[in-house]
Amino acid sequence: MKTPSTSLVHVLIGKSILETLLIGVLAVFTFISILPPYFHGWGEVTDTGISGWVVNNQAPWDRVEVQLFVDGIFMASRVANESRRDVLLAGWSKDEWHGYTFTVTSMSAGLHEARIYALHESGNGTRKTLQLVGDPIRFAVDASGKLSHLLGV
Amino acid sequence: MAAEPQNRESSLPPTATALALWEIVSVATSCLIAEWVVLSFAGRSKLIIAIPILLAGGLMAFSHRERDETLHEIGFRADNFLASCRLLLLPTAAAVLVIIAIGWFMSHSIFAGHFRTRYFSLPVWALFQQYVLNGFINRRAQLALGKGPKSISLVAVVFALLHLPNPLLGVMTFIGGVIWAAVYQKQPNLFALALSHSVVSIALALTISPNLLDSLRVGFKYFG
Repeated sequence: MKTPSTSLVHVLIGKSILETLLIGVLAVFTFISILPPYFHGWGEVTDTGISGWVVNNQAPWDRVEVQLFVDGIFMASRVANESRRDVLLAGWSKDEWHGYTFTVTSMSAGLHEARIYALHESGNGTRKTLQLVGDPIRFAVDASGKLSHLLGV
Repeated sequence: MAAEPQNRESSLPPTATALALWEIVSVATSCLIAEWVVLSFAGRSKLIIAIPILLAGGLMAFSHRERDETLHEIGFRADNFLASCRLLLLPTAAAVLVIIAIGWFMSHSIFAGHFRTRYFSLPVWALFQQYVLNGFINRRAQLALGKGPKSISLVAVVFALLHLPNPLLGVMTFIGGVIWAAVYQKQPNLFALALSHSVVSIALALTISPNLLDSLRVGFKYFG
């Protein structure tokens, strides 16, 4: 059997580079399809609950389904399709129908943390993932059940 | 007379030994990428699975050319077919009998599985696997480690590794890998090996419960 030339080493190195690139591309593509970085939004505390808006910049006319978790526990789910004209005027969306409101009741008095997640479906419905929209919202509930935002906590 | 890469312990310089081992690792890596990475990231996209397979195929073809190996040397030949079959007859028959015994013990039936039309393509798939396993990996293992137990074990370990995480298939392919690699080192004939491989695979598929073998699934597919 003939001794191979250095070309074989070059081919082995080239193959390794191509496979590394393949894995890298697959990883990025998979991350983007499962957890796309297209969701934008915000949430805030109102007297009776949490309200905000969310837009999928990849499909700006779609209404995004959002889920509310308080202290890590799922509370409610709804489609963000309420009017938020301020969001449209600020240029965050193509139309005004991206708002949501969650009424928070029967919470114990004290400090809590709410998180709003956008629900994303991929793989023709075989996968569903949640992505945090905006920052976690820390709030306090007083003895009468009224909510108040905790600034700088 | 069968052409053999090495007849005794390898006396190649370390760089040549390392190169032969690198070729084995490279081909095995491509198979693992297809089984694990592509299937987990891109589902069953045949187009993407084809990329690592084509890269491995290209490397093997280039390596054969670089080393002046002919198809005859690799094992695509007829002259030693019967000699190879004679060596394989006993272990293959023993394997089939063990499979039948296990099947009988588990379900009190023999060849009760449904025969599927895809079994007709099994000899081609078996020939491809035997080419990669013995026509390439075994030949490079002999270059690096010489003919004998070391190179035979390496071939069997690689073959079993490619069938993980299916535990039963991992054990069976290790045993099969040892037998096929040993026979190839005596009589390099890929058609005879593919015949033995096909017979054992069909016996397995028809006799052993798919639950026990997880439908012969390997890699990421094993999990569902």
